[in-house]
Amino acid sequence: MTLEGQRLVCTYGPTRALDGVDLVAGGGEIVAVVGPNGAGKTTLLRALSGERRPDRGEVLLDGSPVSGADPGWRGRVGLVSHRTGLYRKLTVAENLTFFASVHAVPEPRSAVARALDTIGAAALADTRVEALSRGQSQRVALARTLLHDPDILFLDEPFTGLDPSAAAALESTLRARRAAGSIIVLVTHDLRRCQGLADRVVVLQRGHKVHDGETGAADAVDLLRFFSPTPADPS
Amino acid sequence: MNELRRAWLITLKDLRLEFRTGGRLLSMIAFVVLAGFLFAFALDQTAVAGRDVAAALTWLVILFASTAGAGRIFDPEEEEGAFRHLLLTPVSRPAIFLGKTAANLAVIWLVTALTFLSLTAFLDVRDQGSPAAHAAVLLPGTIGLAATGTFFGRMSRHSSLGDTLLPVLTFPLLVPVIFFGATSTARVFLERPWPEISGSVRLLWAFAVGSVFIGAALFRHVSDE
Repeated sequence: MTLEGQRLVCTYGPTRALDGVDLVAGGGEIVAVVGPNGAGKTTLLRALSGERRPDRGEVLLDGSPVSGADPGWRGRVGLVSHRTGLYRKLTVAENLTFFASVHAVPEPRSAVARALDTIGAAALADTRVEALSRGQSQRVALARTLLHDPDILFLDEPFTGLDPSAAAALESTLRARRAAGSIIVLVTHDLRRCQGLADRVVVLQRGHKVHDGETGAADAVDLLRFFSPTPADPS
Repeated sequence: MNELRRAWLITLKDLRLEFRTGGRLLSMIAFVVLAGFLFAFALDQTAVAGRDVAAALTWLVILFASTAGAGRIFDPEEEEGAFRHLLLTPVSRPAIFLGKTAANLAVIWLVTALTFLSLTAFLDVRDQGSPAAHAAVLLPGTIGLAATGTFFGRMSRHSSLGDTLLPVLTFPLLVPVIFFGATSTARVFLERPWPEISGSVRLLWAFAVGSVFIGAALFRHVSDE
């Protein structure tokens, strides 16, 4: 299984958030996308997931074009973003049961119970999301993402706000998904974590891909040079 | 999974959120009660009979309350970015539209019942017109209001003008609902025979069905990027 973004171009008004970016991610691989603020990382994730249609270029899965308009594609995709995507006034169980049901997961209540056990949050089932800490919410968001067993995962800053144990649990979940053959594309600012977790790292700068290599080929200090202000970047 | 079942799940979720949050419903109810109370004092009922104005006031209050509520239909979806995740599930855009319209309709029915009760009490027209005939007029009218409000409630989210834009977009479209709704309700209050009313009710149904179908067909253009 191979996911491929080909010459992706996305614009917001006069701004080119992505300017001809190519990216390939294979099954059983974690690809980290890093770059300074405004580099186009989140836009790349949105284009790959089908959430935003690129203005040019296309996304292919095993050579066939895929689109966010296709429910079959949406059923294979899971997204964790820096916002939890949960309904604050619903309980954890109500949130997860709703998403499991619209995904047509068989026996949604049992699936929710299993998901909560997996993330060690069974005790939170009847707690409203508004009462959860940031880290707890993020764990529930991850459980929601995994409910329908997606084989392609997109994660946008998933470690934000997690305490060390929750971050370790998330890492362990991602490693397990990788071992199961999932494609994982991870946007992060945490260079050290991406060195330890990802198989490949892609660096974006101002909508362009400026580096694409195995994580072993460059250490976190090497990658830092891409974050330094350049003459073209007065900020 | 059947898309109607998915739409129903969205309706149940929205109603649960509606009654837990309460803000939108409470503000609509407060508006309805205050409007009825103020009309009762503002109208000189020795010069104007309550039943002559009850229909127009009822429809205006329902229109203003439903439009004010429409601007907040998507608030719970946006708080933590849940709508983005809903769009990434296999649920179709028409099913999302139908689910949210049905939830909006349930709230509008509650507000309509309260409007009707408060205005008929304040204007002293409680016993005029058959309740079934009133319901037969209000039902298609409120369906049209709910579908239009849901569609433009989403569309206004994409604009920096937001809630300001909503009445500008919806009021011109809702002229037929207000016109045929108010004239039909007025005839029901006057206890005119049903054949005099049924033509307007058919037009209300045409608007209701049209707004639901067009809203469902076009919803992806206002929901997706």
